Amino acid sequence: MTTTFAAFQLLLLLPMSWVVGRSDSSRSARVLARRTMLAAGAIALAQLVWNTFDFPSLGWLEQWLSIEASPPWVPAFSLISCLMGFTAVSLSPIRETRPTTFRRILLLILVALLFLSARNPIALAFLWSASAVLTWLELRDLRSAPKIARLFAIYHLPSSVAFGLGVLFLTQGRISAGLVLLLAAIAIREAVIPLHSWFPPFVQFAPMGVVVAFFAPQLGVYAHMELLRGALPEHLAHAVASFGALTAVVAAALGLAQTHARRALAFLVMSQTGLVAFGLDTSSAVAQIGALLTWQVIGVATAGFAMTLASLEARRGDVSLRRAAGSFTRTPRMAVAFLFMGFASVGLPLTLGFVAEDLLVQGSVEELPVLAFALILATALNGMSVMRAFFKLFSGSSEHIGEQDLTRREAGTLTVVMATLLLTGLFPGAAVRSLERVADPPHIRPDSAHVGSVD
Amino acid sequence: MTEIIVRWAVLGIVGFPALAVLALGLRAWLYHPWSERTTVGIVASGFVAATVACVVTIAWLLAAGLGEVRVPLGAWFSAGHYSFQWNLVADRLSIPFATFSTTLLGLVAAFSRRYLHREPGFARFYLLLAIFGAAVEFVVLAGSLDLAFLGWELVGVTSALLIAFFHQRPGPVEHGLRAFVTYRICDVGLLAAGVALHFLVGTSDVGPLVGGPWAGFVVPPTWAGATVVGLLILWASMGKAAQLPFSGWLPRAMEGPTPSSAVFYGALSIHLGPYLLLRAESILQSSWLAAGAVVAVGALTALHATFVGRTQSDIKSALAYASMTQVGLIYVEIGLGFRYLAVAHIVGHAAIRTLQILRSPSLLDDHHRLEMAMGRQLPRTGGHLERLVPDALQPWLYRVALERGGFDAFLKDWIVSPFLRLMGWIDRADQAWVDYLSKPSVARQRKKQPNEVLR
Repeated sequence: MTTTFAAFQLLLLLPMSWVVGRSDSSRSARVLARRTMLAAGAIALAQLVWNTFDFPSLGWLEQWLSIEASPPWVPAFSLISCLMGFTAVSLSPIRETRPTTFRRILLLILVALLFLSARNPIALAFLWSASAVLTWLELRDLRSAPKIARLFAIYHLPSSVAFGLGVLFLTQGRISAGLVLLLAAIAIREAVIPLHSWFPPFVQFAPMGVVVAFFAPQLGVYAHMELLRGALPEHLAHAVASFGALTAVVAAALGLAQTHARRALAFLVMSQTGLVAFGLDTSSAVAQIGALLTWQVIGVATAGFAMTLASLEARRGDVSLRRAAGSFTRTPRMAVAFLFMGFASVGLPLTLGFVAEDLLVQGSVEELPVLAFALILATALNGMSVMRAFFKLFSGSSEHIGEQDLTRREAGTLTVVMATLLLTGLFPGAAVRSLERVADPPHIRPDSAHVGSVD
Repeated sequence: MTEIIVRWAVLGIVGFPALAVLALGLRAWLYHPWSERTTVGIVASGFVAATVACVVTIAWLLAAGLGEVRVPLGAWFSAGHYSFQWNLVADRLSIPFATFSTTLLGLVAAFSRRYLHREPGFARFYLLLAIFGAAVEFVVLAGSLDLAFLGWELVGVTSALLIAFFHQRPGPVEHGLRAFVTYRICDVGLLAAGVALHFLVGTSDVGPLVGGPWAGFVVPPTWAGATVVGLLILWASMGKAAQLPFSGWLPRAMEGPTPSSAVFYGALSIHLGPYLLLRAESILQSSWLAAGAVVAVGALTALHATFVGRTQSDIKSALAYASMTQVGLIYVEIGLGFRYLAVAHIVGHAAIRTLQILRSPSLLDDHHRLEMAMGRQLPRTGGHLERLVPDALQPWLYRVALERGGFDAFLKDWIVSPFLRLMGWIDRADQAWVDYLSKPSVARQRKKQPNEVLR
């Protein structure tokens, strides 16, 4: 059934991205892209409702294509991916986003939606590379920072090759080599230290909408779940968890030393991703649920946080953190949205981020107590980063430089994002229950398309 | 029936301020803030209603001859073996605190109406005051350390934002950030203590009432476990209570509006540390090391603050150090097991200090009136210390006190600056690596300029 809805998404987003790319102006492209993402969100919502109320199955496409049905949690994740895309296009500033850029944002979200629906490793490898190529094309067009495309290619070409070879080896039964290659590919994509160097410049110079569309859906996490979870031997799983924890702490600490808001955001996201990588490779179901929720929180909260920063940058020009040079009085709603989503992404009480990180820490403490305490430290440091950025960007000056507060379009979008974070945080029961099935040990399939175990 | 009413009353102690937050927050987000009169009315009504709920609870506890009433509200979320329970406890420790807090907050809300009349941040002040009130009640009534952490975090956020209330000036902003960083460093202890309790005894809930006047957290079975948890809770409490070496933020926090300084650093926020220790008394009593550490921290802070406070040249800083001295003494009392004395000391100190801070802007007028009433100059205070300290030591002690004991310099020069330097060095190394990778190769440069030599 998921494939059927994914096909609808494909039929909507593919032609519409072409139309959006041919728009006369960025403004009209944004309007069209917003409407397209709304329609995509409606399809994802319909899929969720269909799934929740057990309406008659639309699995004919799966049967026709002889592919395995997707897990039951995919509709919710698809809806969240659409919310990320909607946030990315709604808040993308005209100044840095051309019609072609809007087209690529839509295509990146389409790739993410298809990635969630695909079960075939070869298809996953193709989509993995497609998202990297789309982003590289966008970076290649950047005039302000021409070197970024080269840097991106240096990291993502090996990542794509490793991913492709990894799934190829897995399907041929060469499990160990396949796992190592997949781990390397995912580690690059998820900017795990020490394979992270492409990520801070990418966030600093690329259009923020593209950054969100490329990074927020976290294809690496899905690939990790689909291909690696439960397949790694214990020592390797613990090594991956350790690298995740290391990334969480070191990136959080580096975030405090940044003097540019975009780079600080990059390290914040890296730290959060480290938490996910850590949680997925523990054997505790509770920690895995926490990791999956953190994945969603990174997507929604960080997308909102990043796009609010982009809106501020479009108004102000420079978002340096060297000295406090903003005025809360003139942009109160923007400041509140920035602070709320920043804290939501690092676990503000009563938001989904708090639930996610609580589960992550409580679930992992028995197996990896030292690393669990490291995560607590990372969370504390991330909170400092958010407050520092808030104070530097929204206080310290009484001068009004003509900044406008959030427009109705921006405020409406951010209200949806904030309400999602708050409501799912206040009533997280359904989300946690739905993920309990995901966190069950993955079944081992006889065909080697899905990895069982190394031995 | 009566019991149901009382349970609702306990819920109302937290719920009424939370409703005020909702009423103020939603309108502010929609750009339609209430008038000053209505804003004060909503917040004050929330606190008055909460006070009435406290009184109803006290009356029922006294009439029924019970030591406590517990209000289980069910699980917030649960996964596998882990469950986060909403559980409020109204007992001989929490109810006096809760009643005192709501009363004081209501009074401060009424007082601030004139004090902050036509101030640009009027609505913001009251919103933060309401959030703070709800958060304090959460900490006080929390039936588990996990739930206490929820309120604890919100207290920290509101405190930092109110210190930076006059956000156009860089000073308050820096001080707000400093306070927040201190809180976050210490919050690590609270979260770690909760995780450690789950790990050691399976729950962080307040245990059953046995023997003592109020129930405490379940004590870990081993001395080492009790010591670790006790020390973590002590660490957590030291930030908000401004105990050494985390005391530097308190005098700087007085940059906020006087009413918030009074209620945060004279009365409620600063006493949450001792409150937490009183709730964890069962654990402290099981470990002489943890109890001794509480005494040592309190005694050192009291000595430090009383000396430093005497060299301050402005009234709010002097009052900040006076608060620190008293809280240090309260720590000593708790460490020595004088629990009733500590409770009485907290309530008495909070009341007098709030009054002093609220009156501090009128210091000269008060001084003048007092002298007029006495018919002579007011006598000097502190002569007993001059007699106690040898003459040769006095100049040295004066200089040390002027430098605030050197603690601020120590933290800055030996911890914060080296940490930031190290992070800066790692960041620069990372950027150098990026520059190296993204630099076009020599061969490619030659290809671009083939006729360079010929020209």
